[in-house]
Amino acid sequence: MASRVSLKAKGKRKAGKGSKPAAPEDGSAGGLAKEWSTWAMKKAKVLAHYGFIPLVILVGMNSEPKPQLYQLLSPV
Amino acid sequence: MGSSASHAAAPPSPAPVVASPTTPPVGLAQLLHQKTKENGDGEGPPAKVDWLDLPCPVPYEELQREASMSLKPELFEGLRFDFMKMLNQRFALSHSVFMGPIEVPSQSSDVIKVPSSHYEFGANFLDPKLMLIGRVLTDGRMNARLRCDLTDNLALKIHAQLTNEPHFSQGMFQFDYKGKDYRSQFQIGNNAFYGANYIQSVSPHLSLGGEIFWIGHQRKSGVGFAARYNTDKMVATAQVATTGIVGLSYVQKISEKVSLASDFMYNQMSRDATSTFSYDYILRQCRLRGKIDTNGVVGALLEERLNLGVTLLLSAEIDHAKKDYKFGFGLTVGE
Repeated sequence: MASRVSLKAKGKRKAGKGSKPAAPEDGSAGGLAKEWSTWAMKKAKVLAHYGFIPLVILVGMNSEPKPQLYQLLSPV
Repeated sequence: MGSSASHAAAPPSPAPVVASPTTPPVGLAQLLHQKTKENGDGEGPPAKVDWLDLPCPVPYEELQREASMSLKPELFEGLRFDFMKMLNQRFALSHSVFMGPIEVPSQSSDVIKVPSSHYEFGANFLDPKLMLIGRVLTDGRMNARLRCDLTDNLALKIHAQLTNEPHFSQGMFQFDYKGKDYRSQFQIGNNAFYGANYIQSVSPHLSLGGEIFWIGHQRKSGVGFAARYNTDKMVATAQVATTGIVGLSYVQKISEKVSLASDFMYNQMSRDATSTFSYDYILRQCRLRGKIDTNGVVGALLEERLNLGVTLLLSAEIDHAKKDYKFGFGLTVGE
């Protein structure tokens, strides 16, 4: 039972979201660059999706004249 | 294709500002020139055209800017409520609620509408050098725009629409270079889209431009040409592309408050020709835009500014042929 569990866990980790792309079978430089660039684009997309609006708010809250924090949430 | 003639015939073009050649002032005889002068205040002798000092043309994508403002108002259906809260001069948060049917594209000529509602939160930061606009909806779609002036003449624009579904996101990078009397732009988009366009002033009133684009995945490419002629009172544009689209537009400013526009579009692939006529009344308390189409579609948008920074929106679009009636109302609260 223990060996079956450890095998399953290993399988899950291999196919996990955060895994780095594996090298292509023939090890060509072009294929490697393409896989890494696709990985980078996917990460950039997730980063932009979640991080752009907090970035705008951060830049805005630090601009002059500095707005107060309560102004972010209150409707006045 | 008779409406290119109708553009010349319909509203009378304004008389060009030229001093009468019969009585030229003696001292200024060497300054008289046949062409219309640039500043257009209608007084004094016409200035000599300095061919090395032409004005910078409008950006290529804003070629039909005046026409689009009148001819393509943001008609909507349902309830719309927008609230824009300024935290300081440059930074604002916006909240927007929409409830109503949304049209789903369908293959047949029937119109399929799906009722839906969403709340959209947005943050804007507008600086002369940097502009950041982000909008996120309740279903996870995000719309982001960034505009950064890298130098005085070079600007970078990024526009991205990101969704949670895979393969539906889109992004576009644009590099704009503004020269003395020309503008050029280079675009890179997802799905291997590359485009470039260039527009040049050839006279104080006329500017000509061209664009070229290439879509990698579908191995399609296209070339287009555009021309824009504008004076103080009118703007006429023409666009032709190898994708088989011909577009002409004409806007005439009748007075400070009223302007009329017309537009003709011909699509060679689908053998479809459409002409639109519209008016735009900008009055003290309201802005009313209406349009009528050769497809029999009539639309109007009224934005009435009630006092205290509250604007009422009423929108209507009627299409008897497809039996599609869209009525919308909304409120915009924004300082």
